[in-house]
Amino acid sequence: MSMGMLLDKAITVIRKDFLTGIRYRSAFLMTGVGIAAELAAFYYLSRAIGPSFRPQGMGYFPFLLVGTGFYTFLMMGINAFLSSVQEAQQSGTLEVLMTSRTSPSTLIFLNALSGFSRNAIRFTIYLIAGLFLLSRVSLGYANLAAGSVTFILSLLIAAALGIIAAAVQIGTHKGSAVMWLFGSVGWLMTGTMFPTSVLPKPLLWMAKLIPVTHCLDALRYSLLGGSSLSGVAREILILAGFSAVLLPAALWMFSYMLKRARLQGTLSFY
Amino acid sequence: MGGIVFESVSKMFRHRPALFNWIGNERSGASIALENVSLNAAPGRILVLLGPNGSGKTTTLKLISSILLPDSGRVLIGGADTKTDSVHARRQVGFAVANERSFFPRLSARENLDFFAALEDIPRAQRPKRIAEVLESVDLMDAADTLVMKFSSGMYQRLAIARALIKDPAILLFDEPTRSLDPASAMQFWELVRELPRQGKTVLLASHNFAEAANVGDSVAVLQHGKIVGRRDIRYDSAEQLRSFYFHVTGEVKVKEKEEFLLVAGA
Repeated sequence: MSMGMLLDKAITVIRKDFLTGIRYRSAFLMTGVGIAAELAAFYYLSRAIGPSFRPQGMGYFPFLLVGTGFYTFLMMGINAFLSSVQEAQQSGTLEVLMTSRTSPSTLIFLNALSGFSRNAIRFTIYLIAGLFLLSRVSLGYANLAAGSVTFILSLLIAAALGIIAAAVQIGTHKGSAVMWLFGSVGWLMTGTMFPTSVLPKPLLWMAKLIPVTHCLDALRYSLLGGSSLSGVAREILILAGFSAVLLPAALWMFSYMLKRARLQGTLSFY
Repeated sequence: MGGIVFESVSKMFRHRPALFNWIGNERSGASIALENVSLNAAPGRILVLLGPNGSGKTTTLKLISSILLPDSGRVLIGGADTKTDSVHARRQVGFAVANERSFFPRLSARENLDFFAALEDIPRAQRPKRIAEVLESVDLMDAADTLVMKFSSGMYQRLAIARALIKDPAILLFDEPTRSLDPASAMQFWELVRELPRQGKTVLLASHNFAEAANVGDSVAVLQHGKIVGRRDIRYDSAEQLRSFYFHVTGEVKVKEKEEFLLVAGA
């Protein structure tokens, strides 16, 4: 398939989701209210804790903001893969989509891309509103190159984890269990709301085995601490390693589960 | 040009009960959906699959569309094996799935078809014309810009046919296509189907409806308990002749006669 054709499909999928989204008229308003309430909760939490608490040398509110915002962005991205399969199974479109000329892996990628785009807009609004309106933090010294590399590698890892969740959904019809595991373990061990350094040693070691921990560290250092590419080289190398292993493994797992479901006749089971 | 060949195809569905099955007592074991079925649908012909519920008609269609893979035997679509070359097999097949929920409810008919057309590699510039053609062919042009959640069952059925036609496939599969259509719409659909072989397309149609089979079919294969129990050229058959043939090969006539006897006897 040519790049032009792939781009055309991506635009069509994003348009389809956009049209569906705007036709649920109240959803936009509720998303806005949800973001505002979440920001306010974290703002008052950081005020209650006080200015003396500076994890990783940063103010607690920006620390929370980048941690929770980016963590939610990654989790929603992972969930986009899972929900695209779940929704297609429940609505009956999965079998129709599987008979199209577009390969199943491309289809799931396109659906998730649309979900990622939506979440990226939400994350940007969340950051801008939190950093500029509530805490008046300047991003003047943020290192955008390091931030961008971290962002791209984080996307690849989230895509791999999302494909694994989608494969589990096809194989066991319970991909949501993977999301539940990522979600609950993530809040505890990735340093979303507090630095991982406060964890006991065994948990700290486990935290280092979770790629999202390194995603959050690298993004905080580059956006809030102004670290250059060489400053976050260790995190970036770790993230690159995770991507190189997880992506091919996830694609292999998805294709295996798909073939197994077609043999067992369980493709549309949920 | 796409023909369909089934070579000794078997398909079984295994029931794997969950943990603690003694609580819910879910069925275990396996169901045989198709057993050693050999079938040949020549290009440019209409083959009708007749059979009672659970006889294997939908499984046959799903195997052709490569949604399912056979446990044993081969399914060849225009020479492409669905197990080893499903990409080429899939390209040749259009499956009219009429499930109302298989469309995006908050998109119009035109927007739905645009989405599915993009997935079928139809270039953006050609899509509006192609969509207009297929909507016209199923008489949905007036509802092209209506959100499909406002459609009736019959309109969904016609939209499903439009979706199957949009990729211009060599093989078209229909699963009880006129189930939700009124008589006029059903006749219009039959006309549309009869036109397809003239364009070189192979049609496989699963149905319970003898009038439909006699109206559109060139040949019929009767399925019962996952096996083919009868085949026949039906180009010159009436619905009544087809009905007699069906009850003869399935043995269901005995049940029918018994029911009629009980009715007459006032039991």
